[in-house]
Amino acid sequence: MFKKTALAASIVMMSTATVYAEGPYRIGITQNNVGVDSYQTTYESAFEAAAEANENVEIVVLDAGGDVARQIGQINNLIQQRVDAIIIWPTNGQAVIPAIRQAHKAGIPVVVTNSKIAEAGLEYIAAFSGPDNVQQGASSAEMMCDALDGEGQIVQISGQPGYTTAMERAGGFEERLAELCPGVELLETQPGNWNRERAQRVMEDFLTKYDRIDGVYAGDDNMGVGALNAAKGAGRADEIVFIGATNFAVGYDAIERGEYYGSIYQSPVDDAEAALQTALDVLGGQEVPKMNFFETPKITAEILGEFDRPVF
Amino acid sequence: MTSLKGFFRGKTAIQPIWIFVIAIFIFFSFMSEYFLSLSNITNILVQTSTIGLLALGMTYVMINGNIDLSVGATLGLAASLVVGIQPLGLTVAVLAALAAGIVIGAINGLIVWKTGVNAFIVTLGAMIGVRGLIFLYTQEQSFYATNFAFADFGASTIGPIPVLAIIFLLCTLVMHLVLTRTGHGRNTFAVGGNPEASIDAGIRLGRHMMINFIIVGFFAALAGVLLASQMGAATPNLGRDYELWTITAVVLGGTKLTGGYGSITGTLGGVLAIGILRNGMNMMQVPAFYVLVILGAILISVLIIDKKLNAPSTKEVRI
Amino acid sequence: MSFLSAQGILVFFLLGMVVFSFFSEQFLSQSNIMTVVRQASIIGIIAVGVTVVIIGGNLDLSVGSLLSFSTVLVVDLHDKIGPVNAILLMFALTLLIGAVNGFLIGFMRLNSLIVTLAMLSAIQGLVLIYSGGQNVDIANQQGTWFAFFGRGYVAGIAVPILLFGLLAIVVQVVMSYTGYGRRIFAVGGNPMAAVYSGIRKNWCVFSTYLISAFCVACAALVLGSRVMGSQNNVGQGYELLVLAGIILGGTSLLGGAGSIWKTVIGVLILGFIQNGLLLMGYPYYIQWIVTWVIIILAVWLDLANKRKRLLTTHS
Repeated sequence: MFKKTALAASIVMMSTATVYAEGPYRIGITQNNVGVDSYQTTYESAFEAAAEANENVEIVVLDAGGDVARQIGQINNLIQQRVDAIIIWPTNGQAVIPAIRQAHKAGIPVVVTNSKIAEAGLEYIAAFSGPDNVQQGASSAEMMCDALDGEGQIVQISGQPGYTTAMERAGGFEERLAELCPGVELLETQPGNWNRERAQRVMEDFLTKYDRIDGVYAGDDNMGVGALNAAKGAGRADEIVFIGATNFAVGYDAIERGEYYGSIYQSPVDDAEAALQTALDVLGGQEVPKMNFFETPKITAEILGEFDRPVF
Repeated sequence: MTSLKGFFRGKTAIQPIWIFVIAIFIFFSFMSEYFLSLSNITNILVQTSTIGLLALGMTYVMINGNIDLSVGATLGLAASLVVGIQPLGLTVAVLAALAAGIVIGAINGLIVWKTGVNAFIVTLGAMIGVRGLIFLYTQEQSFYATNFAFADFGASTIGPIPVLAIIFLLCTLVMHLVLTRTGHGRNTFAVGGNPEASIDAGIRLGRHMMINFIIVGFFAALAGVLLASQMGAATPNLGRDYELWTITAVVLGGTKLTGGYGSITGTLGGVLAIGILRNGMNMMQVPAFYVLVILGAILISVLIIDKKLNAPSTKEVRI
Repeated sequence: MSFLSAQGILVFFLLGMVVFSFFSEQFLSQSNIMTVVRQASIIGIIAVGVTVVIIGGNLDLSVGSLLSFSTVLVVDLHDKIGPVNAILLMFALTLLIGAVNGFLIGFMRLNSLIVTLAMLSAIQGLVLIYSGGQNVDIANQQGTWFAFFGRGYVAGIAVPILLFGLLAIVVQVVMSYTGYGRRIFAVGGNPMAAVYSGIRKNWCVFSTYLISAFCVACAALVLGSRVMGSQNNVGQGYELLVLAGIILGGTSLLGGAGSIWKTVIGVLILGFIQNGLLLMGYPYYIQWIVTWVIIILAVWLDLANKRKRLLTTHS
C-alpha cells in the first residue's frame, strides 16, 4: 500500500517539476520564530492578509520556532506536499542551504525573505527579498557619528548570538563606525538576545562599569528601550544617545519624547508583501533580480512626522 | 516474545505509549492526504532520529536514576566540530566530534562519581558551559559544509529508506539488546532500583554511572554528526531545548525519573509519538501557537491514561 | 540550625566576592551590590515558591512560561482595565494555573516533572494565543503608580528587593515554625509515613503549587513594572535559572529537606557570578564556561563541607 502511494507521489512530483502550473499557486512559507517579537508576528498577519487578497494564491504557513533543524524538516515537508514555491525566512543563513538545494533539485523555486543566506546558497534560490541589515548597521553608525559629533565612548547591545540579523547589524555598525568616526570608541559589546529585560540588565551593568557612556547602539528598538529604562533608573539618560534599529512603537514614542535619538524604519508589512510579490513574479515567469532590498530609511526626531507610528 | 495476555495487562512497559502511537497514526492518516505515504513516514523517522538518538542514551542514564541536561549542547558541539574540521578530512572530523561527546560524557560522569554532586546540577552546568565552548570554538559563526558529499550522505537512502533512519533503528536495536540481555543492562536497573544493594552486590557504582554518561555523550555526538550531515551545516545554537523534549520522550515511554525502571522499546514509542504529533499537526496546518497547547495537553493526557492503565499493578507512592 | 548548614556555601560566596573585587573595583561598590540584588530578586521571588514545591517532593518547570503569561497579562490589562483590576485578575488567573498544576500532581498523582514540562509548553502557547504574538506595552509610563513595584524605593531600598526579602522571610517562618510547614517537609521526606500519620498529602502538594504560582505572580508584578512592557517569551529559561539557584543554595531535589534561606544565598551567588563576569568584561561565551566551573565547584565544596562536619560529629 505504501509503495503505491509513494509511486503516485513521485509521479505527481515529477510533473510539477517540469510543467509550471498556471495557478492558483500553492505557496509554502516557513518562518523563523513567530511570537518571539512583534515584528515577526506582524509580518505573518500581513503575509496572510496579502495572500487572502489575492485569489490566485493559497498558502501553507509554518513556523520553525527558531530551530534550524525544525525549519529543515519543514522545508522537507513542503517539498513533500509539492507546493509551487517555498518562501523561507532563514533561522540561519548557512544551515538551510542544503535543504534549499533539495527544493531546487525538486524543481520548486525558493524565495528567501528578511535575512540573507550565505553566498554559496545563492545559486539555488530564485530571489532574495528583504532589508539590507549590513546597510542598517552602517546607517546606525552614521547616526551615532552625527549625534556625538565624532567624539565619545559607546557600548553596543547586540541581538541573539549566532543569528544572521544580529551579526549583520553588528558587523555593519562596527565597520562603518571605524571608518567614519575613529574618534568614537566602542567600549564593549554584550548580547541582549532581542529581549528588553535582558538588555536592561546588561545596560545596568554597563552603567556600573563605565563612568562615562555617551552612546548606546542596540540591535533593535526593543532592546534599545530596555537600555533607556536602565539609564533612566540610574539618572543618566540625559547624557546618553540611544540609537536602535527596527523601529518599534515604543521606540517611536521615545523618539517623539526626545529621549531616543534615532532608529531604522523597517515595516514588516512591506517586508511580507515584497516576499509574496517576489514569489508570484518568479512563478509568473518574470525576470526577477537576485537581490531585492526594500527601503529601510533612518528615522530621527526631525523627520518623525514623515513616518506612521509602527503598529507593533 | 511478549505474551498477549501480559501485553494487555500492562506488564510490558511498551503498552500504553504504543497504543497511543498507533491511534495518532491512524488519526492523522485520515486527517491529511499527505500524511500516509512512504516518503512522509521515512521523513518522520529521519526527523525523530535526532531526539531518538539522544533518548537512547538518556534512557540508560535515567534508569540509573540520573539525568543529563547537557545532551543538546553536546549535540551542538559535535555538529560544529564535524563541519568545522572537515577541511582536515571527513574521517578525522567525525572521529573528533564523537570523541568530544565521549569526553563530555566522561567529564559529567567523573564529576558525578568523584564529587557526589547531583547529576541534575552537574549537567545543568555542562549545558551552559558546553554551549560556551561552542561559541568559543565557532566565534558565533555557522559552519557550512563545503563538501556536498557530507550533506548527500545525510540525504542518501538504501532502497526507499533513508540511511539516517536505518542508523537510528540499528542503534535502537543494539541499545535494546544491551539493556535486556547483558550484565551492563542488568546492572543499570540494579543501580537505579537500589544503589545500596547494588554496591553490596559488587557493582562499582561510580564507574558504572560514568560508563552510562559516556554512552549518552556518545549518542549526543552521533546525533549531532547526523543532524549536521542532514543539514550539511552546523549552527552554534543547534540543539537548544532538545534536552527537555528528550526527557519528555523518555518519560512518555514509561521510564521512571526515580530510576530502576524503563525500556528502550518504550522510549522508541515516546520519541515516535512526539515526532508523529509534530509532523501530523504541520500537515494539518495547525497554527504554531496552538501546537504548543495541544502538545502540552496531549502529554498530560498520556500521563493520565498511563496512570489509569497501570493503576492496579503499581502500589508505589513515588513521586 | 538551618543557618549553620548553609555555612559551606556562604564561605564560598564570600570568597567569590573577594576574588571578583580584585578584578573589578566597582564590584563591591554599594550601588553595584544593590543593582545585582535587584536584578536577582525576580529569580529570587520565584525561587522562594519553587523551593516549597521541592521540599514537598516535586518539581515545577512551568514557572518560566507562567512568568511570561502573568507579565504579558498584567501589562496588557494595565491600560485596558486599570492597574488595580489588572493586578487582581492577573493574580487570579496565575493562581488558577497553579491550581491546575496542583490538581494534576496532588490529586491525580501525575509525575511532576512531566506535568510541568507539558504546562511549560501549553502556557507558552496560551500566552501567544492571548497576545496574538504581539509585544505589549504600557502607554503612559510616567504617570502610573504601577511603576512602584519595579522601579520604586522605600527608605532607600528598591521595592523588588523588599518584596523578595519579605516573601523569603514570611515563607521561611511558615516552613520552620508552623504545622503546615512541618507537614510539607513530612510529605516530601517520607510520603508513606506522612499519609499514615494522617496528613492529607494531596492537599499539601496542591497547596505548594499555589504558593509557587503566587510567587510567580509577584515576580511578574516586578518584571512588568520594571520593563513597562513585555515580550511573549520574557520568562523563557527562568525555570532552569531558578533551579540552579536553589540547588546552588544546597537544597536537594529529592524533597523533604531544604530552606528558603539557602535558596536566597544560592540565587544571590548566581546573580553575583553573572554580574562579576560581566564587569570583568569577558565575552559571553567565556562567562558561560566559567559559570559551569563555578556551579560545580560551589556545590562540591558545600557537599564536602557537610561530609566533613558529619565525620567530626560522629567521631
